[in-house]
Amino acid sequence: MSKPAASLFHPKRLNLSGFINTRLIRDHNKRMAFEQTEPERQALRYMIRNTSLPGRTRAQAQLQLSQMHAYTRPTQIKNRCVASGTARSVFRDFRINRYQFRLQALSGELPGVKKASW
Amino acid sequence: MFTNTTRSLLGAGKRLRVPVPIRSLSSPSQPSAPTPTATQETAPQPAASPAPESVSTPTPEQPSEPLVKEWSERLGALGKGTRLPRSVQAIYMRPLRRKAEYGLPVCDLQLRSYSVENVEFFADFAIRAAYYLNLPVSGPVPLPRIVERWTVPRSNFVHKKSQENFERITLRRLIQIKDGNPKAVQAWLAFLRKHAFYGVGMKANVWEHDSLDVGKSMDESLPEIEKALGSHLAQFGQRKDNSVESSIFDTLDSDRFAERTSR
Repeated sequence: MSKPAASLFHPKRLNLSGFINTRLIRDHNKRMAFEQTEPERQALRYMIRNTSLPGRTRAQAQLQLSQMHAYTRPTQIKNRCVASGTARSVFRDFRINRYQFRLQALSGELPGVKKASW
Repeated sequence: MFTNTTRSLLGAGKRLRVPVPIRSLSSPSQPSAPTPTATQETAPQPAASPAPESVSTPTPEQPSEPLVKEWSERLGALGKGTRLPRSVQAIYMRPLRRKAEYGLPVCDLQLRSYSVENVEFFADFAIRAAYYLNLPVSGPVPLPRIVERWTVPRSNFVHKKSQENFERITLRRLIQIKDGNPKAVQAWLAFLRKHAFYGVGMKANVWEHDSLDVGKSMDESLPEIEKALGSHLAQFGQRKDNSVESSIFDTLDSDRFAERTSR
């Protein structure tokens, strides 16, 4: 048997707005998948680390954790630019790519951001 | 026809800055009343212009003492014999303050903005509001500015040598209320939130002080609180049909869990 397809994690409705991209949707799906399975992941992680449990159980939990779908891993989540979908140099303060940041700052769309010289 | 001419005449009078007795012009009750300021050349319709003898009385070339003064003069004359109400006058002065009796801090309000005018204006407003609520206030204390800077390449691709700097400076003001009534403080905060100014953020820390017998007073107020919270607390708890007598291992081996982790 193969792993559950990624389409399993396609939400019925996208909770997205603004710029939309395939990669952006994929990241969104990963976020949703992680959100849904987080309690399970945490339970398994707890069991793996709990030395008071029998070794067999812990090994079983390890196996099950490793067999969960990749989309349920938090490390799969990557911040993306909400204005262009780029994954590189995205500012956490604005959730925007560095180039989009420059464009928007110059056009005065980011409150308080000005050209600096000192 | 007549109204049309009067309007045009009015306009002419405005343009020429000639004293115009407006009442006689605008009132339709005296349609035959001659207008003394009507100038034959500026009137667009000579047929509707009044009689020639009335035209000759004032000389537009040599304007005499105007009957009605300019607005600025009239407004200036207003303040000579009278004064504004005290509350209005106070707006032009520094804000009034109450004196703190004990100096016990009760509320810290921090205002934040990216522009000086907004934060200064709103701090002033808050202090005035506090005065009318009988709250002794200290401030506004200018807290250190928060400067955030970003450096980005000008281009969207490579050319790292040409970069641009951006900054965002957050200005902060601290307003402290001293030994005020907690209810008045709440009213003050609610008032400020109601009249929140654009581009100004607010953050308040409120402290309440009680006597040393806090335990007693809290015990006394417990039944009231329980009564008030009863409806909310009734929503919490475990469902009786949800309690399972199985262990976590059963859950791990269950079909639902196996389905998720099935290969």
